[in-house]
Amino acid sequence: MNTAYNFAFFDEGSKREIRRATLKAIAIPGYQVPFASREMPIGRGWGTGGLQLTLSLIGKEDVLKVIDQGSDESVNAVSIKKLVSDTTGVQITDHTSRATIIQSRHRIPEVPLNKDQILVLQVPLPEPLRYFEPSEHETKKLHAEKEYSGAWLMLFEQIMKYGSMTTGADHPVMVHDRYVMAPSPIPRFDNSKMNENEALILLGAGREKKIYAVPPFTKIVSLDFEDYPFEGESFDGKCCRLCGSEGVFLDELIDEATGETYYQCNDTSYCCEILNEVEKAGVN
Amino acid sequence: MKLDIVHDLQSVYRKLVDSTSRPGLISDLGKEAALLDGKNAAGCSNSMLLLALTLLDPEVTFKVYGSDAEAAEKEINQLTFAKAVQADQADYLFILEDAGAGTLDEAIENANPGTFVNPHKSALIIAETGAISAGECLLLKGPGIQTSTGIKMDLIGNWIERRKEKNREYPTGVDLVFVDRNHQLLSLPRTTQIALNREEEREWVM
Repeated sequence: MNTAYNFAFFDEGSKREIRRATLKAIAIPGYQVPFASREMPIGRGWGTGGLQLTLSLIGKEDVLKVIDQGSDESVNAVSIKKLVSDTTGVQITDHTSRATIIQSRHRIPEVPLNKDQILVLQVPLPEPLRYFEPSEHETKKLHAEKEYSGAWLMLFEQIMKYGSMTTGADHPVMVHDRYVMAPSPIPRFDNSKMNENEALILLGAGREKKIYAVPPFTKIVSLDFEDYPFEGESFDGKCCRLCGSEGVFLDELIDEATGETYYQCNDTSYCCEILNEVEKAGVN
Repeated sequence: MKLDIVHDLQSVYRKLVDSTSRPGLISDLGKEAALLDGKNAAGCSNSMLLLALTLLDPEVTFKVYGSDAEAAEKEINQLTFAKAVQADQADYLFILEDAGAGTLDEAIENANPGTFVNPHKSALIIAETGAISAGECLLLKGPGIQTSTGIKMDLIGNWIERRKEKNREYPTGVDLVFVDRNHQLLSLPRTTQIALNREEEREWVM
Protein backbone atom coordinates (compact mmCIF):
# COMPACT_ATOMS: atom_id res chain seq x y z
CA MET A 1 0.00 0.00 0.00
CA ASN A 2 1.29 3.44 -0.94
CA THR A 3 0.91 5.72 2.08
CA ALA A 4 1.87 8.86 0.17
CA TYR A 5 -1.79 9.04 -0.88
CA ASN A 6 -4.96 9.39 1.16
CA PHE A 7 -6.79 6.16 1.96
CA ALA A 8 -8.84 5.38 -1.18
CA PHE A 9 -7.02 8.16 -3.07
CA PHE A 10 -9.64 10.84 -2.41
CA ASP A 11 -9.67 13.56 0.20
CA GLU A 12 -12.56 13.23 2.64
CA GLY A 13 -14.45 16.18 1.12
CA SER A 14 -14.60 14.49 -2.27
CA LYS A 15 -15.80 11.23 -0.73
CA ARG A 16 -18.51 13.08 1.19
CA GLU A 17 -19.82 14.75 -1.94
CA ILE A 18 -19.95 11.46 -3.86
CA ARG A 19 -21.54 9.75 -0.85
CA ARG A 20 -24.28 12.37 -0.58
CA ALA A 21 -25.09 11.96 -4.28
CA THR A 22 -25.08 8.16 -3.94
CA LEU A 23 -27.56 8.22 -1.05
CA LYS A 24 -29.93 10.41 -3.06
CA ALA A 25 -29.53 8.08 -6.04
CA ILE A 26 -30.54 5.08 -3.89
CA ALA A 27 -33.56 7.01 -2.59
CA ILE A 28 -34.73 7.83 -6.15
CA PRO A 29 -34.08 4.64 -8.18
CA GLY A 30 -33.09 5.31 -11.78
CA TYR A 31 -32.79 9.08 -11.39
CA GLN A 32 -29.44 10.49 -12.50
CA VAL A 33 -28.00 12.55 -9.66
CA PRO A 34 -25.42 15.10 -10.85
CA PHE A 35 -22.14 15.10 -8.93
CA ALA A 36 -18.82 16.93 -9.12
CA SER A 37 -16.87 14.23 -10.92
CA ARG A 38 -13.23 14.42 -9.87
CA GLU A 39 -10.14 14.43 -12.02
CA MET A 40 -8.79 10.89 -11.80
CA PRO A 41 -5.41 9.38 -12.67
CA ILE A 42 -7.10 7.51 -15.53
CA GLY A 43 -8.75 9.14 -18.54
CA ARG A 44 -12.39 10.20 -18.47
CA GLY A 45 -14.45 7.57 -20.23
CA TRP A 46 -12.22 4.78 -18.91
CA GLY A 47 -14.22 3.94 -15.84
CA THR A 48 -13.77 7.07 -13.74
CA GLY A 49 -17.42 7.09 -12.66
CA GLY A 50 -17.26 3.53 -11.41
CA LEU A 51 -13.87 4.13 -9.86
CA GLN A 52 -15.11 7.16 -7.93
CA LEU A 53 -18.05 5.16 -6.58
CA THR A 54 -15.75 2.29 -5.60
CA LEU A 55 -13.31 4.62 -3.84
CA SER A 56 -16.10 6.38 -1.93
CA LEU A 57 -17.50 3.03 -0.76
CA ILE A 58 -14.45 0.97 -0.01
CA GLY A 59 -13.16 0.19 3.48
CA LYS A 60 -10.29 -1.87 4.85
CA GLU A 61 -12.40 -5.01 5.18
CA ASP A 62 -13.69 -5.02 1.60
CA VAL A 63 -12.72 -7.52 -1.05
CA LEU A 64 -12.66 -6.04 -4.53
CA LYS A 65 -13.25 -7.59 -7.93
CA VAL A 66 -12.93 -5.57 -11.13
CA ILE A 67 -14.00 -6.89 -14.51
CA ASP A 68 -13.89 -5.41 -17.96
CA GLN A 69 -16.24 -7.04 -20.49
CA GLY A 70 -16.29 -10.17 -18.36
CA SER A 71 -12.52 -10.38 -18.01
CA ASP A 72 -10.59 -9.95 -14.76
CA GLU A 73 -7.31 -9.60 -16.60
CA SER A 74 -7.83 -6.93 -19.25
CA VAL A 75 -5.67 -3.80 -19.05
CA ASN A 76 -8.44 -1.54 -17.78
CA ALA A 77 -9.51 -3.93 -15.02
CA VAL A 78 -5.93 -4.53 -13.91
CA SER A 79 -5.10 -0.80 -13.80
CA ILE A 80 -8.17 0.00 -11.73
CA LYS A 81 -7.45 -2.88 -9.35
CA LYS A 82 -3.85 -1.69 -8.95
CA LEU A 83 -4.92 1.88 -8.21
CA VAL A 84 -7.47 0.81 -5.60
CA SER A 85 -5.26 -1.77 -3.91
CA ASP A 86 -2.25 0.60 -3.88
CA THR A 87 -4.22 3.31 -2.13
CA THR A 88 -6.29 1.12 0.21
CA GLY A 89 -4.46 -2.19 0.70
CA VAL A 90 -7.72 -4.14 0.28
CA GLN A 91 -7.81 -7.73 -0.91
CA ILE A 92 -8.42 -8.34 -4.58
CA THR A 93 -10.23 -11.40 -5.87
CA ASP A 94 -11.34 -12.96 -9.15
CA HIS A 95 -14.07 -15.02 -7.47
CA THR A 96 -17.42 -13.27 -7.81
CA SER A 97 -18.88 -14.89 -4.70
CA ARG A 98 -15.95 -13.76 -2.51
CA ALA A 99 -16.08 -10.08 -3.49
CA THR A 100 -17.95 -7.44 -1.48
CA ILE A 101 -17.58 -4.74 -4.14
CA ILE A 102 -17.61 -5.67 -7.82
CA GLN A 103 -16.74 -2.93 -10.27
CA SER A 104 -17.69 -3.92 -13.78
CA ARG A 105 -17.58 -2.57 -17.27
CA HIS A 106 -20.39 -3.82 -19.50
CA ARG A 107 -21.29 -7.10 -17.75
CA ILE A 108 -23.20 -8.40 -14.78
CA PRO A 109 -21.35 -11.54 -13.59
CA GLU A 110 -22.83 -14.98 -14.28
CA VAL A 111 -22.67 -16.00 -10.61
CA PRO A 112 -25.81 -14.54 -8.95
CA LEU A 113 -25.01 -11.64 -6.63
CA ASN A 114 -25.92 -11.77 -2.95
CA LYS A 115 -27.12 -9.26 -0.37
CA ASP A 116 -23.64 -8.50 0.96
CA GLN A 117 -22.36 -7.33 -2.40
CA ILE A 118 -22.46 -4.02 -4.24
CA LEU A 119 -22.17 -4.00 -8.02
CA VAL A 120 -20.65 -0.82 -9.43
CA LEU A 121 -21.18 -0.35 -13.15
CA GLN A 122 -19.15 2.03 -15.31
CA VAL A 123 -21.33 4.11 -17.58
CA PRO A 124 -20.20 5.97 -20.71
CA LEU A 125 -23.58 7.54 -21.61
CA PRO A 126 -26.02 7.71 -18.69
CA GLU A 127 -28.77 9.50 -20.59
CA PRO A 128 -31.09 7.06 -22.41
CA LEU A 129 -32.81 9.96 -24.18
CA ARG A 130 -29.61 11.54 -25.51
CA TYR A 131 -29.89 9.71 -28.85
CA PHE A 132 -32.81 11.88 -29.91
CA GLU A 133 -32.46 14.91 -27.61
CA PRO A 134 -29.03 16.58 -27.45
CA SER A 135 -29.93 19.15 -24.78
CA GLU A 136 -29.40 18.18 -21.12
CA HIS A 137 -31.88 20.87 -20.11
CA GLU A 138 -34.54 19.22 -22.29
CA THR A 139 -33.85 15.62 -21.25
CA LYS A 140 -34.10 16.63 -17.59
CA LYS A 141 -37.50 18.12 -18.39
CA LEU A 142 -38.58 14.95 -20.22
CA HIS A 143 -37.61 12.84 -17.17
CA ALA A 144 -39.44 15.26 -14.87
CA GLU A 145 -42.61 14.91 -16.92
CA LYS A 146 -42.16 11.16 -17.47
CA GLU A 147 -42.39 11.95 -21.17
CA TYR A 148 -40.80 8.89 -22.69
CA SER A 149 -42.52 8.65 -26.08
CA GLY A 150 -39.14 9.43 -27.69
CA ALA A 151 -37.56 6.34 -26.14
CA TRP A 152 -40.34 4.11 -27.47
CA LEU A 153 -40.28 5.88 -30.82
CA MET A 154 -36.56 5.15 -31.12
CA LEU A 155 -37.29 1.42 -30.68
CA PHE A 156 -40.30 1.65 -33.02
CA GLU A 157 -38.14 3.17 -35.75
CA GLN A 158 -35.62 0.37 -35.38
CA ILE A 159 -38.42 -2.16 -35.85
CA MET A 160 -39.69 -0.27 -38.92
CA LYS A 161 -36.22 -0.12 -40.46
CA TYR A 162 -34.74 -3.47 -39.51
CA GLY A 163 -37.64 -5.64 -38.39
CA SER A 164 -36.49 -5.88 -34.78
CA MET A 165 -35.10 -3.77 -31.96
CA THR A 166 -31.43 -3.34 -32.77
CA THR A 167 -30.06 -2.21 -29.43
CA GLY A 168 -27.05 -4.49 -29.10
CA ALA A 169 -26.32 -3.36 -25.59
CA ASP A 170 -27.59 -0.59 -23.31
CA HIS A 171 -31.24 -1.42 -24.08
CA PRO A 172 -33.25 1.14 -22.04
CA VAL A 173 -35.15 -0.06 -18.99
CA MET A 174 -37.97 1.33 -16.86
CA VAL A 175 -37.05 1.52 -13.18
CA HIS A 176 -39.73 1.22 -10.47
CA ASP A 177 -42.37 2.29 -13.02
CA ARG A 178 -40.97 5.82 -13.08
CA TYR A 179 -37.62 6.51 -14.73
CA VAL A 180 -36.30 5.27 -18.06
CA MET A 181 -32.67 4.41 -17.40
CA ALA A 182 -29.61 3.39 -19.40
CA PRO A 183 -28.46 0.13 -17.78
CA SER A 184 -24.92 0.90 -19.07
CA PRO A 185 -23.78 -1.04 -22.13
CA ILE A 186 -24.49 -4.48 -20.66
CA PRO A 187 -25.70 -6.95 -23.28
CA ARG A 188 -29.47 -7.46 -23.44
CA PHE A 189 -28.75 -10.89 -21.96
CA ASP A 190 -27.93 -9.17 -18.64
CA ASN A 191 -30.95 -6.83 -18.50
CA SER A 192 -33.12 -9.42 -16.79
CA LYS A 193 -30.47 -9.90 -14.08
CA MET A 194 -31.10 -6.33 -12.94
CA ASN A 195 -34.75 -7.02 -12.19
CA GLU A 196 -35.27 -7.80 -8.48
CA ASN A 197 -31.55 -8.38 -8.03
CA GLU A 198 -30.44 -9.18 -4.49
CA ALA A 199 -27.47 -6.80 -4.57
CA LEU A 200 -27.38 -3.02 -4.68
CA ILE A 201 -26.38 -1.80 -8.14
CA LEU A 202 -24.70 1.60 -8.43
CA LEU A 203 -23.95 3.20 -11.77
CA GLY A 204 -21.39 5.96 -12.23
CA ALA A 205 -20.64 8.12 -15.25
CA GLY A 206 -17.44 10.10 -14.64
CA ARG A 207 -17.28 12.06 -17.87
CA GLU A 208 -21.01 12.88 -17.77
CA LYS A 209 -20.88 13.51 -14.00
CA LYS A 210 -23.88 11.41 -13.03
CA ILE A 211 -24.55 8.76 -10.38
CA TYR A 212 -27.65 6.59 -10.34
CA ALA A 213 -28.74 3.44 -8.60
CA VAL A 214 -30.93 0.38 -8.61
CA PRO A 215 -31.64 -0.74 -5.04
CA PRO A 216 -32.06 -4.48 -4.37
CA PHE A 217 -35.45 -5.98 -5.23
CA THR A 218 -36.43 -3.16 -7.57
CA LYS A 219 -38.65 -3.71 -10.56
CA ILE A 220 -36.73 -3.28 -13.82
CA VAL A 221 -38.56 -3.72 -17.12
CA SER A 222 -36.80 -3.55 -20.48
CA LEU A 223 -38.75 -1.31 -22.87
CA ASP A 224 -40.62 -3.27 -25.55
CA PHE A 225 -43.93 -3.64 -27.38
CA GLU A 226 -46.71 -6.19 -26.98
CA ASP A 227 -46.12 -7.57 -30.48
CA TYR A 228 -42.33 -7.12 -30.34
CA PRO A 229 -41.36 -8.40 -26.90
CA PHE A 230 -37.89 -7.74 -25.54
CA GLU A 231 -35.48 -10.59 -26.10
CA GLY A 232 -31.99 -11.16 -24.78
CA GLU A 233 -29.25 -12.62 -26.96
CA SER A 234 -29.92 -16.30 -27.49
CA PHE A 235 -27.22 -18.97 -27.39
CA ASP A 236 -29.49 -21.93 -28.04
CA GLY A 237 -27.59 -25.08 -28.87
CA LYS A 238 -24.23 -23.44 -28.21
CA CYS A 239 -21.90 -24.01 -25.32
CA CYS A 240 -18.50 -22.87 -24.08
CA ARG A 241 -15.66 -24.66 -25.84
CA LEU A 242 -13.60 -24.76 -22.62
CA CYS A 243 -16.03 -25.52 -19.80
CA GLY A 244 -19.11 -26.63 -21.71
CA SER A 245 -21.45 -24.18 -19.95
CA GLU A 246 -24.80 -23.46 -21.50
CA GLY A 247 -27.18 -20.60 -20.75
CA VAL A 248 -24.39 -18.09 -20.13
CA PHE A 249 -23.27 -15.14 -22.24
CA LEU A 250 -20.86 -16.48 -24.86
CA ASP A 251 -18.26 -14.75 -27.03
CA GLU A 252 -18.23 -15.81 -30.66
CA LEU A 253 -14.68 -16.41 -31.88
CA ILE A 254 -13.26 -17.57 -35.19
CA ASP A 255 -10.26 -19.86 -35.49
CA GLU A 256 -8.24 -18.06 -38.14
CA ALA A 257 -6.39 -21.19 -39.26
CA THR A 258 -9.44 -23.36 -39.87
CA GLY A 259 -12.13 -20.67 -40.24
CA GLU A 260 -14.20 -22.53 -37.68
CA THR A 261 -16.55 -20.59 -35.37
CA TYR A 262 -16.46 -21.44 -31.70
CA TYR A 263 -17.89 -20.06 -28.46
CA GLN A 264 -16.36 -19.28 -25.11
CA CYS A 265 -17.70 -17.91 -21.80
CA ASN A 266 -17.46 -14.13 -21.70
CA ASP A 267 -17.19 -14.21 -17.89
CA THR A 268 -13.65 -15.60 -17.57
CA SER A 269 -13.64 -16.15 -13.81
CA TYR A 270 -16.89 -18.12 -14.03
CA CYS A 271 -15.38 -20.28 -16.78
CA CYS A 272 -12.22 -20.85 -14.70
CA GLU A 273 -14.22 -21.83 -11.63
CA ILE A 274 -16.19 -24.41 -13.61
CA LEU A 275 -13.00 -25.80 -15.15
CA ASN A 276 -11.29 -26.04 -11.75
CA GLU A 277 -14.26 -27.87 -10.28
CA VAL A 278 -14.22 -30.37 -13.13
CA GLU A 279 -10.49 -30.90 -12.69
CA LYS A 280 -10.82 -31.37 -8.94
CA ALA A 281 -13.56 -33.93 -9.44
CA GLY A 282 -11.41 -35.73 -12.02
CA VAL A 283 -8.38 -35.97 -9.72
CA ASN A 284 -10.43 -37.29 -6.82
CA MET B 1 -12.22 12.18 20.09
CA LYS B 2 -10.75 8.82 19.16
CA LEU B 3 -12.88 8.59 16.06
CA ASP B 4 -10.94 8.00 12.87
CA ILE B 5 -12.60 10.30 10.35
CA VAL B 6 -11.44 8.19 7.43
CA HIS B 7 -12.20 4.61 8.45
CA ASP B 8 -14.92 5.00 11.06
CA LEU B 9 -16.94 7.41 8.96
CA GLN B 10 -16.54 5.09 5.98
CA SER B 11 -18.07 2.37 8.08
CA VAL B 12 -20.93 4.68 9.15
CA TYR B 13 -21.53 5.53 5.49
CA ARG B 14 -21.63 1.89 4.44
CA LYS B 15 -24.19 1.16 7.16
CA LEU B 16 -26.22 4.11 5.92
CA VAL B 17 -25.99 2.75 2.36
CA ASP B 18 -27.06 -0.72 3.56
CA SER B 19 -30.01 0.63 5.52
CA THR B 20 -31.12 3.02 2.77
CA SER B 21 -30.92 0.43 0.02
CA ARG B 22 -32.78 -2.10 2.21
CA PRO B 23 -35.37 -0.08 4.17
CA GLY B 24 -36.23 -1.89 7.37
CA LEU B 25 -32.70 -3.21 7.79
CA ILE B 26 -31.54 -1.87 11.15
CA SER B 27 -27.83 -1.03 11.34
CA ASP B 28 -25.85 -0.73 14.55
CA LEU B 29 -23.68 2.39 14.92
CA GLY B 30 -22.70 1.38 18.47
CA LYS B 31 -19.05 0.67 17.70
CA GLU B 32 -18.43 4.02 16.04
CA ALA B 33 -20.60 5.94 18.54
CA ALA B 34 -18.50 4.58 21.41
CA LEU B 35 -15.44 6.25 19.90
CA LEU B 36 -16.93 9.72 20.40
CA ASP B 37 -16.16 11.17 23.83
CA GLY B 38 -19.14 10.94 26.16
CA LYS B 39 -22.14 13.11 25.62
CA ASN B 40 -21.34 16.36 23.90
CA ALA B 41 -22.39 19.70 25.33
CA ALA B 42 -25.06 20.42 22.74
CA GLY B 43 -27.33 17.48 23.51
CA CYS B 44 -26.99 15.58 20.23
CA SER B 45 -26.64 11.85 20.57
CA ASN B 46 -23.38 10.33 19.40
CA SER B 47 -25.01 8.54 16.48
CA MET B 48 -26.57 11.80 15.30
CA LEU B 49 -23.15 13.47 15.44
CA LEU B 50 -21.66 10.58 13.48
CA LEU B 51 -24.20 11.11 10.71
CA ALA B 52 -23.50 14.87 10.73
CA LEU B 53 -19.77 14.19 10.41
CA THR B 54 -20.39 11.70 7.60
CA LEU B 55 -22.65 13.91 5.50
CA LEU B 56 -22.05 17.57 6.30
CA ASP B 57 -19.43 20.01 5.08
CA PRO B 58 -19.42 23.68 3.96
CA GLU B 59 -21.19 22.73 0.71
CA VAL B 60 -24.47 21.89 2.46
CA THR B 61 -26.87 23.47 4.92
CA PHE B 62 -28.74 22.14 7.95
CA LYS B 63 -31.19 22.95 10.72
CA VAL B 64 -31.62 21.49 14.18
CA TYR B 65 -34.90 21.08 16.09
CA GLY B 66 -34.52 20.65 19.85
CA SER B 67 -34.88 22.34 23.20
CA ASP B 68 -31.52 24.03 22.75
CA ALA B 69 -31.31 23.98 18.97
CA GLU B 70 -28.97 26.95 18.82
CA ALA B 71 -26.28 25.25 20.87
CA ALA B 72 -26.56 22.12 18.76
CA GLU B 73 -26.38 24.12 15.55
CA LYS B 74 -23.27 25.87 16.82
CA GLU B 75 -21.67 22.56 17.74
CA ILE B 76 -22.43 20.96 14.36
CA ASN B 77 -21.26 24.09 12.55
CA GLN B 78 -17.96 24.02 14.43
CA LEU B 79 -17.46 20.35 13.70
CA THR B 80 -18.39 20.37 10.00
CA PHE B 81 -18.41 24.06 8.90
CA ALA B 82 -21.86 23.50 7.40
CA LYS B 83 -24.18 26.48 7.67
CA ALA B 84 -27.38 26.52 9.75
CA VAL B 85 -30.36 27.93 7.81
CA GLN B 86 -34.18 28.04 7.83
CA ALA B 87 -35.97 24.69 7.67
CA ASP B 88 -37.26 25.06 4.12
CA GLN B 89 -33.79 25.78 2.75
CA ALA B 90 -31.89 23.13 4.68
CA ASP B 91 -30.41 20.05 3.03
CA TYR B 92 -30.35 18.19 6.35
CA LEU B 93 -32.81 18.52 9.24
CA PHE B 94 -31.80 17.11 12.61
CA ILE B 95 -34.50 16.44 15.20
CA LEU B 96 -33.23 15.87 18.73
CA GLU B 97 -35.12 13.65 21.11
CA ASP B 98 -36.05 16.56 23.40
CA ALA B 99 -37.65 18.51 20.53
CA GLY B 100 -41.13 17.57 21.71
CA ALA B 101 -44.03 15.74 20.16
CA GLY B 102 -45.12 16.91 16.74
CA THR B 103 -41.73 18.33 15.77
CA LEU B 104 -41.14 15.58 13.23
CA ASP B 105 -44.51 16.39 11.62
CA GLU B 106 -43.51 20.05 11.47
CA ALA B 107 -40.11 19.22 10.00
CA ILE B 108 -41.63 16.98 7.33
CA GLU B 109 -44.06 19.73 6.43
CA ASN B 110 -41.38 22.42 6.20
CA ALA B 111 -38.66 20.37 4.55
CA ASN B 112 -37.66 21.01 0.97
CA PRO B 113 -39.15 18.24 -1.23
CA GLY B 114 -37.06 19.15 -4.31
CA THR B 115 -38.63 19.66 -7.72
CA PHE B 116 -39.67 17.30 -10.51
CA VAL B 117 -36.62 18.38 -12.52
CA ASN B 118 -34.26 18.18 -9.53
CA PRO B 119 -35.71 15.77 -6.97
CA HIS B 120 -32.22 15.24 -5.52
CA LYS B 121 -32.29 18.74 -4.06
CA SER B 122 -34.74 17.52 -1.42
CA ALA B 123 -33.96 17.37 2.28
CA LEU B 124 -32.92 14.43 4.43
CA ILE B 125 -34.47 14.38 7.90
CA ILE B 126 -32.49 12.67 10.65
CA ALA B 127 -34.46 12.12 13.84
CA GLU B 128 -33.69 10.67 17.27
CA THR B 129 -36.38 8.33 18.53
CA GLY B 130 -37.06 5.83 21.28
CA ALA B 131 -36.16 2.21 20.58
CA ILE B 132 -36.04 0.87 17.03
CA SER B 133 -36.26 -2.88 16.60
CA ALA B 134 -37.49 -5.56 14.26
CA GLY B 135 -41.19 -6.16 14.79
CA GLU B 136 -44.55 -6.00 13.14
CA CYS B 137 -45.90 -2.56 14.12
CA LEU B 138 -45.04 -0.88 10.84
CA LEU B 139 -45.07 -2.80 7.59
CA LEU B 140 -42.71 -1.54 4.91
CA LYS B 141 -42.93 -2.12 1.18
CA GLY B 142 -41.09 -0.77 -1.83
CA PRO B 143 -37.72 -0.95 -3.60
CA GLY B 144 -35.09 -2.65 -1.47
CA ILE B 145 -37.66 -4.93 0.19
CA GLN B 146 -38.39 -8.35 -1.28
CA THR B 147 -42.04 -8.58 -0.25
CA SER B 148 -42.58 -6.69 2.96
CA THR B 149 -40.72 -6.21 6.20
CA GLY B 150 -41.79 -5.16 9.68
CA ILE B 151 -40.28 -2.80 12.22
CA LYS B 152 -41.15 -1.54 15.66
CA MET B 153 -40.45 2.03 16.66
CA ASP B 154 -41.32 4.17 19.67
CA LEU B 155 -42.53 7.31 18.00
CA ILE B 156 -45.83 9.05 18.37
CA GLY B 157 -47.48 11.62 16.14
CA ASN B 158 -48.94 11.75 12.69
CA TRP B 159 -45.60 11.57 10.96
CA ILE B 160 -46.56 8.60 8.79
CA GLU B 161 -49.56 10.50 7.44
CA ARG B 162 -47.54 13.71 6.99
CA ARG B 163 -44.77 11.85 5.22
CA LYS B 164 -47.25 10.20 2.89
CA GLU B 165 -48.72 13.58 2.03
CA LYS B 166 -45.29 15.09 1.47
CA ASN B 167 -44.17 12.22 -0.74
CA ARG B 168 -47.42 12.02 -2.68
CA GLU B 169 -45.92 13.39 -5.87
CA TYR B 170 -43.01 11.05 -6.38
CA PRO B 171 -40.12 11.67 -7.22
CA THR B 172 -40.35 14.77 -5.01
CA GLY B 173 -40.38 14.10 -1.31
CA VAL B 174 -38.22 13.75 1.77
CA ASP B 175 -36.08 10.88 3.02
CA LEU B 176 -36.02 9.95 6.69
CA VAL B 177 -33.32 8.43 8.87
CA PHE B 178 -33.97 7.45 12.48
CA VAL B 179 -31.45 6.71 15.22
CA ASP B 180 -32.32 5.49 18.69
CA ARG B 181 -30.56 5.65 22.06
CA ASN B 182 -28.88 2.32 21.42
CA HIS B 183 -27.41 3.67 18.17
CA GLN B 184 -29.68 1.59 15.95
CA LEU B 185 -30.19 3.18 12.56
CA LEU B 186 -33.23 2.89 10.31
CA SER B 187 -33.61 4.59 6.95
CA LEU B 188 -36.90 5.24 5.15
CA PRO B 189 -36.29 6.69 1.68
CA ARG B 190 -39.24 8.28 -0.12
CA THR B 191 -39.99 5.12 -2.11
CA THR B 192 -40.85 3.10 1.00
CA GLN B 193 -44.55 2.70 1.73
CA ILE B 194 -45.42 2.43 5.39
CA ALA B 195 -48.58 0.76 6.67
CA LEU B 196 -49.68 0.59 10.28
CA ASN B 197 -50.20 -2.98 11.31
CA ARG B 198 -53.21 -2.76 13.63
CA GLU B 199 -53.67 -5.97 15.58
CA GLU B 200 -57.34 -5.20 16.31
CA GLU B 201 -58.14 -4.75 12.67
CA ARG B 202 -56.47 -7.99 11.75
CA GLU B 203 -58.41 -9.85 14.40
CA TRP B 204 -61.64 -8.29 13.24
CA VAL B 205 -60.96 -9.32 9.65
CA MET B 206 -60.14 -12.84 10.71
